[in-house]
Amino acid sequence: MRHWRVAALLLAAALAGCDGGSSSATSAAPAAAGKPTPRHPDGQVRFDSEPGGRGHWGQASVSSLFETGVQVVMDENGLLANIADAPRVAPFQPWALALYEYRQKNDLKDDPTRACIAPAGPRHLHTTGGFRIIRDPTYDRMYVLFGGGNRNWRVVFMDGREPPNPEEVAGTYFGHQAGYFEGDTLVVESSGYNARFWFSNGGLPHTEALRLTERFSRPDFDTLKYEVTIDDPLTYTRPWTAEWTVDWVEGGEIAERFCEDHRTAVEGE
Amino acid sequence: MMRSVRFGSLLACATVVSALALSHDAAAQFRDLSQGRPAPRTADGRISFSGTADEVGNWEGSTANGAELIYPTPEDDPANGTDALPTNLSVEQVPFQPWARALFDYRQRTYLKDEPHVRCKPSGVARLFHTPYGLEILDLPDSGEVIFVGVGSPHSWRVVDLRATEHAADAPPTRYGHSIGRWEGDTLVIDTVGFADSFWMNRLGLPHTAQLHTIERISRPNFDTLVYEVTIDDPGAYTETWSGGFYLNWRSGNEPFDYLCQDNNLDPERLVGPEG
Amino acid sequence: MVRTALRWIVGGSSSMLLVSAQAHHSFRAQYDSTKTIDVTGYVTKIDWMNPHVYFYIDVVNAAGKTESWAFEMGPPHMLEQRGWKRNSMAIGDELEVSGTRARDGSLTANARTVRLRATGQVLGAASSEGQPARP
Repeated sequence: MRHWRVAALLLAAALAGCDGGSSSATSAAPAAAGKPTPRHPDGQVRFDSEPGGRGHWGQASVSSLFETGVQVVMDENGLLANIADAPRVAPFQPWALALYEYRQKNDLKDDPTRACIAPAGPRHLHTTGGFRIIRDPTYDRMYVLFGGGNRNWRVVFMDGREPPNPEEVAGTYFGHQAGYFEGDTLVVESSGYNARFWFSNGGLPHTEALRLTERFSRPDFDTLKYEVTIDDPLTYTRPWTAEWTVDWVEGGEIAERFCEDHRTAVEGE
Repeated sequence: MMRSVRFGSLLACATVVSALALSHDAAAQFRDLSQGRPAPRTADGRISFSGTADEVGNWEGSTANGAELIYPTPEDDPANGTDALPTNLSVEQVPFQPWARALFDYRQRTYLKDEPHVRCKPSGVARLFHTPYGLEILDLPDSGEVIFVGVGSPHSWRVVDLRATEHAADAPPTRYGHSIGRWEGDTLVIDTVGFADSFWMNRLGLPHTAQLHTIERISRPNFDTLVYEVTIDDPGAYTETWSGGFYLNWRSGNEPFDYLCQDNNLDPERLVGPEG
Repeated sequence: MVRTALRWIVGGSSSMLLVSAQAHHSFRAQYDSTKTIDVTGYVTKIDWMNPHVYFYIDVVNAAGKTESWAFEMGPPHMLEQRGWKRNSMAIGDELEVSGTRARDGSLTANARTVRLRATGQVLGAASSEGQPARP
């Protein structure tokens, strides 16, 4: 029996925050509305706290991944309220739609996160647990530290490097990531993924051909705007885009919580 | 009630115990810290535990070269040089409670086959510092933190709060514990409590309980050496406080890379120990 | 008994042959350093994944029976830094492998060196061996 709370998702505009518990261990009083975007001394947007402050990114305005402009109803786990809506979630290739529907009809039982495989790709950014985006103080790179899943991290190299030949290196969970700024928007292009994880909680398929282009911006102190373009011609008939916002949690710390202490799948399952 | 920080008394006790350790095999070749390039500093003169704009790299503590909390380990060969600290205790000198010594011996007899770290279980204290594949250290004065980012299992991160001066009494036990720290000159001193007991605090499996309280001291005497020393205060497992540590080596050119312990981990079923 | 393959021709420096790499776990809990093996066979499967790369080869033993051997190497990133590429070996390639047998008696070993017969290239396996056997 599926247990789900209907959460109507109105897309193509900033979405209202979902309910659901925050992951932070502590939280201070909310920051004053309309605080400007914080910046480093060199003018670059700060995606972490301002000097003297603390905090992290918390609740996403969506709980799953679907194409912008599509109106479907899903629960917080990405399960469709109506399986007939499946073809509209993304522009699937036929095999991919069949696989997506299989996963949905089977209550996402094969989700690799049950074995603590990382909720990688865009999924990390709407998995409860919070995250931070930190500029390395020494090198030209950014770290994204996640509180969900098994508390992993990913690194974005900002030095303009080309990704390695995927036929020569291992497929990754977090992608070979190269980032740059377009004005105040951090653009991250990634590729070189393996296909051993679900990049959405609802079980959207992907292959090693997956390429992501993510855009992070911080229009004001309390808001992270996130947009991702999914380009996987083996899985989807065209590139498609999803977007959401994430709220800043001022003063909060990301609680230490590891999937490995709560895993539901054991070795060999 | 806030837990007090008993730096002074702990270090005094550890000094007494450590003094007993200065009688290692004359053949042991410990590192000469007077050699090497000077450690880098930030623009404001602070010691840097990172590289420079011209040299990327990160840290690696190699248990294959003796980077452990005790010396010698079963795998050490003094003639080959060691990354252990000269002040490390031998197993016989570690002030175990009897049950802890028995458990430690069992873990050695069974070749560490039950190690949680191999099963992708995050492991605090020294285990983070001698896990292979690299350790990045992010010094973040704007947020008042130092964050350790580990590449190897479990590909996670540990935060040290440099603003707090006391631990919260209600912090739940965690694998990395609750860490507060401060700089003493060029040495980062980290005080940690609130450990869970579901991990091994070092590769050799020295036991601990939830009473564990550690004080870690991390310094960089030269560009290529990071000194990690930890004082163990755990009356549940040890009759006295004691200290041990090792050197981490700077790996020039190393960068963080993608790694997931859970990817295709066949080790647990193959760790059978001496009986096979 | 597994037929012992001809000794490989050392094409590179000795440093390539035993490329010790720190293990993330106890080597001796899995493998017995006193039991080495040298085999020649054809690749049937490659798992280029963390925490260890595994490859599988079919080996014809002295009795003429085909056995499937599994060999463990280091993690992909370490191998790629030591001259390997993900596509260095392919299904059907013939390999000469030296290694250390698993304690559990299975047809599993930790690879120390791999020689690709087609090219003659010898590659270290980023083995975590290199520590003296426990007395």
